[in-house]
Amino acid sequence: MNRVFDPPRLARLLVSWEIGSSVGRQFAVEAKRGGAEFIEAEHMLLALAANTDSDAARLLNEFGLDHERLAAALHEEHRQTLAFVGMTAKNTNLAEATELDLPPSMGTSAKVAFRRALIGSRHDRRRARLRGIDLLAGILEAEFGTVPRALAIAGIDRVALLARARGSE
Amino acid sequence: MSSTPSPVGGPADGLAAASALRAIADRLEDAEVERAMRAGWSWSQVAEALGVTRQAVHKKHLRRLLMAQIELRRRNNE
Repeated sequence: MNRVFDPPRLARLLVSWEIGSSVGRQFAVEAKRGGAEFIEAEHMLLALAANTDSDAARLLNEFGLDHERLAAALHEEHRQTLAFVGMTAKNTNLAEATELDLPPSMGTSAKVAFRRALIGSRHDRRRARLRGIDLLAGILEAEFGTVPRALAIAGIDRVALLARARGSE
Repeated sequence: MSSTPSPVGGPADGLAAASALRAIADRLEDAEVERAMRAGWSWSQVAEALGVTRQAVHKKHLRRLLMAQIELRRRNNE
């Protein structure tokens, strides 16, 4: 995809994500699939991996990651996290509330990833637009939270992956 | 000098669990408020059971309850 983002428009989206692009729609799809109230960094990562012809997905592939493997890693992260307090995904199987007709809004980890992506892409003055791979780098900059936990559990070298994403032209 | 802590193990696991439990609690509240209102509870009763104000429950859940087409009790016949 290598969908082109326009930073000023993106800044508005950070406050309230309005579904305006195929990538944006994919973020919401991933969040809803996970039963999440907000779009978080892991949903954006899954969305990037789902667009298999993008630079971001190709780089993830080089590190052995595709949508399926990422989803499995995130699932395992969730399982291990719940196990810390003696819970299993099975015993947290809750009744489902009615789904809102609104697209999910951006969660903190997603906003932070976008901000980092914007800052990280600014070193190159020629680059006026944010690419999918910049967003991937923004996501990978997080040292803590769901994404780095899932990558660590899956045995992926996040720092090496980040260096490649940042260094790409 | 301390190095960057690992995102897994130690306090990272406990912090991740706190965050995961918060999300689970939010989903549980959504589902159970809907169930209570379907069963004819008033806003005040739900608020008292949750230990929050009636206004807080209203603000957080009204849209979902309207979408679920639940007949809501008016304030004057609570």
